[in-house]
Amino acid sequence: MQMIDTEKVFEYSGYKKEDFSVCLGCKICASVCTLNDIGENVNPQEILISIFLGKVLNTHPLVRLCTSCYRCTDSCPWSIRIPEVIRALKEISQKEESFGKAFRSSIKIFGRIYEPYVILKLSSVLLRKGYIKFFPKWIEYFSLHLPHFVRRD
Amino acid sequence: MVYAYYPGCSLKGSAKKLDVGIRKVFGVLGMHLEEIPDWNCCGAVEYGDASEIRSMSRKNLFKALKVSTRIIAPCPLCSKNLKESDGSGEFSILHPLDVLSLDFLMSIPAKKDLKGYVITPYYGCLLLRPKETAIKDKEIMEKVILSFGGQVAGEEIKDKCCGGNKFFVDKEIVYKLSKIVLKKSSPFIVVFCPLCHMVLKTFSEGQKVLYFTDLILYILGEKKEL
Ligand code: SF4
Ligand code: SF4
Repeated sequence: MQMIDTEKVFEYSGYKKEDFSVCLGCKICASVCTLNDIGENVNPQEILISIFLGKVLNTHPLVRLCTSCYRCTDSCPWSIRIPEVIRALKEISQKEESFGKAFRSSIKIFGRIYEPYVILKLSSVLLRKGYIKFFPKWIEYFSLHLPHFVRRD
Repeated sequence: MVYAYYPGCSLKGSAKKLDVGIRKVFGVLGMHLEEIPDWNCCGAVEYGDASEIRSMSRKNLFKALKVSTRIIAPCPLCSKNLKESDGSGEFSILHPLDVLSLDFLMSIPAKKDLKGYVITPYYGCLLLRPKETAIKDKEIMEKVILSFGGQVAGEEIKDKCCGGNKFFVDKEIVYKLSKIVLKKSSPFIVVFCPLCHMVLKTFSEGQKVLYFTDLILYILGEKKEL
């Protein structure tokens, strides 16, 4: 576990510490979490508690796997936006994956996600991690189009 | 009626079909879409700082002012981000399903019906959640399918998550999640999101994955088969 600045998690997610003190511990979030449909056995509430206590669990499996589906938020009595808290945590603990990095780099260069650039940047990951076998099904997704460069202000 | 159109990054590439479909449907129905000049990425889910995403989306709202304050954004994630960036409610940010209401769709010049088709409308996550940015009528597609003589199946998975945004992080997890959806779906699955389309198509064995625009174009007689 790496010590990280919980203040930043609050700042990034737009929450205050008091907002988490209302959590009832009902674990409805865990009962509806998408990842538990496939037996990952995760409890999103643990993340809130750990931030509330100032001990951040940035190794929690949800940091990597939360799909931002908002099922937890939708069922939570306080509508806490757990995926946004997790995204803040992920950013602060620098757990960005190569996919996210390629996206950001594209936004930096073009102002948009320009897919041909992203694919080029990820080509070694796509090769190594066995995505090539999907290419025949992906033909309709590939299109040659020129990038647009968004004006800087 | 002129709308400012925000296609978003995917619709310029992998989801070109959705872009073409939206333009065509709106065109046939006599509504004019004008693309927002020099729009930028909405921020997707790529930044941990929520205010950074809001400010990226906010820029697009200002760029839209040259066209209209009524903005159409077909990608569920873009429409969520744009809706959330409009703090004071001066804009009207709409997913196409907010515009193409049931009454309206029932009055379109239909050339074909859906008799004999069993269809699963798969909304996924962001059209239905969080509630602040969700579409107004959460059963609109079921109603459209039934109204045009089709049958609806697989409603229990309509709001499940396909795992799409983790596809390039952990494909095994996404495989398992999409199988839950595919197992309960009929041979025709109607989707709204570019990532849902890609994931379900990748793991489908023979089931057909369609955009909702394909369905409307079929009814309008603009598309030969489903
Ligand atoms: S948003 Fe993340 S934590 Fe919440 S239910 Fe979905 S996967 Fe689980
Ligand atoms: S559903 Fe909400 S209140 Fe209940 S444990 Fe989860 S975060 Fe806390």
